[in-house]
This record gives sequence, structure tokens and C-alpha cells, in this order.
Amino acid sequence: MDISRRQLAGVILAGTAAAQAPPPPTTEQSGNTELESARSARRTAAQIIARVPLPMTTEPAFQFKA
Amino acid sequence: MAEIPPDIFFNSISELNAKLRAKEFSCHELTQAFCDRMERIGPRYNALALSLRKDAITKAKDVDRELKRDRTRGALQGIPYGVKDLLAVKKQPTTWGAKPFATQVFDYDAHVIERLDKVGAILIAKLSMVELAGGGDYRTAAASLTGPGLNPWDRTRWSGGSSSGPGAAVAAGLVTFAIGSETSGSILTPSAFCGLTGLRPTYGLVSRQGAMALSWTLDKLGPLCRSAEDCGLVLHEIAGVDLQDPGSAGRSFNYNPKYARKPADITIGYMPVDFEDGAEPSAQPAFRAAFEVIKSLGVTLKEIQLPEFPYGALVGTIIAGEAGSIFEEFIRSGKVDQLADPHQIAGLKAMLDLPSTEYLRAMRVRSLVKAAFHDLFLNCDMVLAPTRLGPANKVAEPLDALGPPTKSRGGLIPGGNLAGLPAISLPCGFADGLPLGISLLGRPFYENQLIAIGDLFQKQTDWHRRRPPMEE
Repeated sequence: MDISRRQLAGVILAGTAAAQAPPPPTTEQSGNTELESARSARRTAAQIIARVPLPMTTEPAFQFKA
Repeated sequence: MAEIPPDIFFNSISELNAKLRAKEFSCHELTQAFCDRMERIGPRYNALALSLRKDAITKAKDVDRELKRDRTRGALQGIPYGVKDLLAVKKQPTTWGAKPFATQVFDYDAHVIERLDKVGAILIAKLSMVELAGGGDYRTAAASLTGPGLNPWDRTRWSGGSSSGPGAAVAAGLVTFAIGSETSGSILTPSAFCGLTGLRPTYGLVSRQGAMALSWTLDKLGPLCRSAEDCGLVLHEIAGVDLQDPGSAGRSFNYNPKYARKPADITIGYMPVDFEDGAEPSAQPAFRAAFEVIKSLGVTLKEIQLPEFPYGALVGTIIAGEAGSIFEEFIRSGKVDQLADPHQIAGLKAMLDLPSTEYLRAMRVRSLVKAAFHDLFLNCDMVLAPTRLGPANKVAEPLDALGPPTKSRGGLIPGGNLAGLPAISLPCGFADGLPLGISLLGRPFYENQLIAIGDLFQKQTDWHRRRPPMEE
């Protein structure tokens, strides 16, 4: 089979790229991503809540009664 | 043995109780028929956590002996029901819907079960639920020990959460009513998705003793039924003071429909966008029609604005603070990794990083939420809104997948829960062949009035009598 130098370079580069591609994430890595995402969501929620003007005299709704 | 006609499985509490008293069939026969049906059909919807047939039959025979002597105990005597599997049943597994708790057994009954037992209701099954009632934030309907809750109206759709089993079981006629729990939406959502009438009582009205705690300041127990009247009958029996529940409001509830105020004396607030083009397009015609029915009852309707607060962020932060403490040992032990949903596992783990200042700020803002709803109810008696803005999610899709864009904010579920307010969800039509619900939110301890308006709505409509297209 004839193959040009350009085609050969393409094949070699593709092979290199495949070798350099990260392996599929393990369960642990996937769990870490989920955990970081959950922490990020928590931080976002805190930022949103912090925008609500809150008088210093406001006490928390402890001993909660409707 | 008397033959139990299929219609019986969809009777209301009053209808069923009248037939038992008229001795059309015995309680034993009725219970056996419901147990057979539950065991045969329940797994089809992943609704059954545990059949309690043996104890149920024993109890049913007791009720028959009582009825023979004309000893009556009220409307729930002899009525088959189920409970979400977060309620303790003595010497039976109580799994909280989660694999790590699959063999957990308590040596006592939850307070609501004791109360229902005293009036002769027959507990036939524990019903499935989202694991740990969804604490940590679940992303898939499959986040449950028993698999995804499937909707009797369409098994490719979710039955809602976290009371997924109670929703599917009542809709499919496997029990006449069920007890579910709500921290933020877990009674109202399955009720809307499955075409049921569900009541979330005022915080503290129903004891949570014997129920899994997810959030001490948000958790509530309540009924999922076929009608507003049925909700009143069940609440009448389960509500009341319980010194074993630190959140108990010290109040009782007497279902008194005849003392409810007349519609002409009631003002209902609403946000116009909810009944114009705010909901998902397929659901808008049903919500508009429901609004017209409410209007025809003779109530005064008044435009309102829901107080502006970041409800979702507040609920999430408060649950994180309280559930993080409740489940701290479970999370640190590593058993949390046995849960079904990786997103939920991560959410639970992240709870342990929540600074106390963030929790406290959320609880302080919650005081403002409560005050704002108090002010809102100076101008109206209740608020009307779609329970959910569209029909049930597809089981195969992530629950946070974006649906059609909506203009409505839909903050009534988290807002009402933060303020501890009662709400009732009423079936109000269909979209894509799936049920929809509207909700009425009221002042604290306003359940009788919510039920009364719900009952009037159901006298004008028959959505609550529709049945899913099931193969028997």
C-alpha cells in the first residue's frame, strides 16, 4: 500500500495523541469531581444568600414555630 | 368470600368505610384483596418496600370483630393504607430507601402509626422512597433502594420524590391513602405528578417521632389521598400534641368542614404569570382552566407578588447544616458510598464542610422569609399557584435536565416550607397525558380552610376521580 509522507505523519500524530489522551476517569476521580461540584454549589448558594440585606438584630429561626 | 369489585380500590375513605359498616364485605376480605393487589402490582411501579400482609390480616380480623359488635372508631376504621419507608414499624425493616440501612430494625412504631392503629386503620405495606429522602441532592429517579419510582400514568415517567412509593401506590389503587413526608416538596410533588390530593400540614402539627430526620426545622409528615375530604379525615387522626417530638406545635386538628368560612369571605392571592404563560406550554391550558374554576367558586381573587428571596439556596443550606449533623457519623464512616446516586453521595460529603456562619445566615434570612409571608397573609387568606410547572419528569433523564423555559418562578414549595406553612395540592388536569396539580398555600394552622376550598374545587371537577390506564 502506497502512503504519502503527509499521510504517514498524520498516522504518527494520531497515535501520539491517542497515547497522550487521559484514561477514562476512575470511580474515585469521578467522585472527586462530583464532590468539588457539590462544594462549588454550596459556595454559590452562600454567595446568593449573602446578597439578602440582613439587619444585625435578626435572630435565626431556631426553636422554629410556624 | 365476597368478591371485591375493582372499583373498590379507587373508593374514597368515606365510601369504603360505609361499605364496611354495611357489611358488603368484611375487613378481612378487603385487606386480603388490597394485599394481593399491592404484592402483584406494587413492584411494577417500584412502589412496594415491604408487604405487611400477616399483621394486616390479624388487624383486619380484629376490626371485623369490632364491627360485628357495632363498635365503631371513626372514618378510618378498616381502611388499608401504606407508609413511606422512613417511618418506623416495630420489628420490621425500615430502610429509609437506602442500601446502607437495608437491615435496620426499630423496636417501636412511629407516633402516626400508633395513632392510626388506635382508630382501626390497616397498615398493609411500607412504601418505597428516594434514599434518605433525597438528602444531599439526588440527580436521578433511580436514587432509591427499590429503583426509580415509576408513574402509574406512564411508566416512563417518575412518580415524584421523595415520597415516590406513596404517590404511585395511591394512584394505582394499591392503598386508599398513604403517609408521606415533606422537607421541601416531597408530598406535593408526587401528589401533582400522580394525580393525587396531598396535604402538607403546618410545621409541628403532626408528630415526627419515629420518622427519619433529614432537617429538624423543615420535616413534616402528611397524607397523600384521592380527595381533599380524605386528607381532612386522615389529618384529623394523625395530628396532635406529642411531647416526644421537640417540634410539636402543641396543637390538635379537628376536621370541621361545616365550620369553614364561605367562599365569599375568602381572598385568594395569585401571581398572574402562573395562569397566563408562566408554566410549561403543554400545561398552561389546564392551569388557566383551573384558575377559572377557582374563580367560579365565588372567592375574591387578588394579584400578589411572592416575597423575593433565594428560596432554593436557603432550603439547600439549611438542609445541609442539619442533615450534615444528623448523618455525620454515617458520612465519615464511608457507608455513604453505598448510596445509589454519586451526586447525592458528594452532596452529603460536602455538607460536612458547611461553615456554621453560612447555616446561621440562612436561618436568619429564614426569619425574614417567615415575616414576609406573615405580611403577605394580611392581604389574602391563601395563595394559589401551580404545584409544579409541568408534568412528571422522564425517568431516563437527569432530574436537573432543563425542561421547557418557564416565566413562573415556582417558589411556593421552598418558600412555604421555609415558613412552615400548610399547603394542599389538587389534581387540575393533564398535559401530555400526565396529571397536573395546583396548590393552595395558607396561614399556619389553616388546614380546614384549605381543605374546604379544595373540596369545593373537587365538587366542580372530576380530575381527582380519574384513574391511570393500568393493566390489571
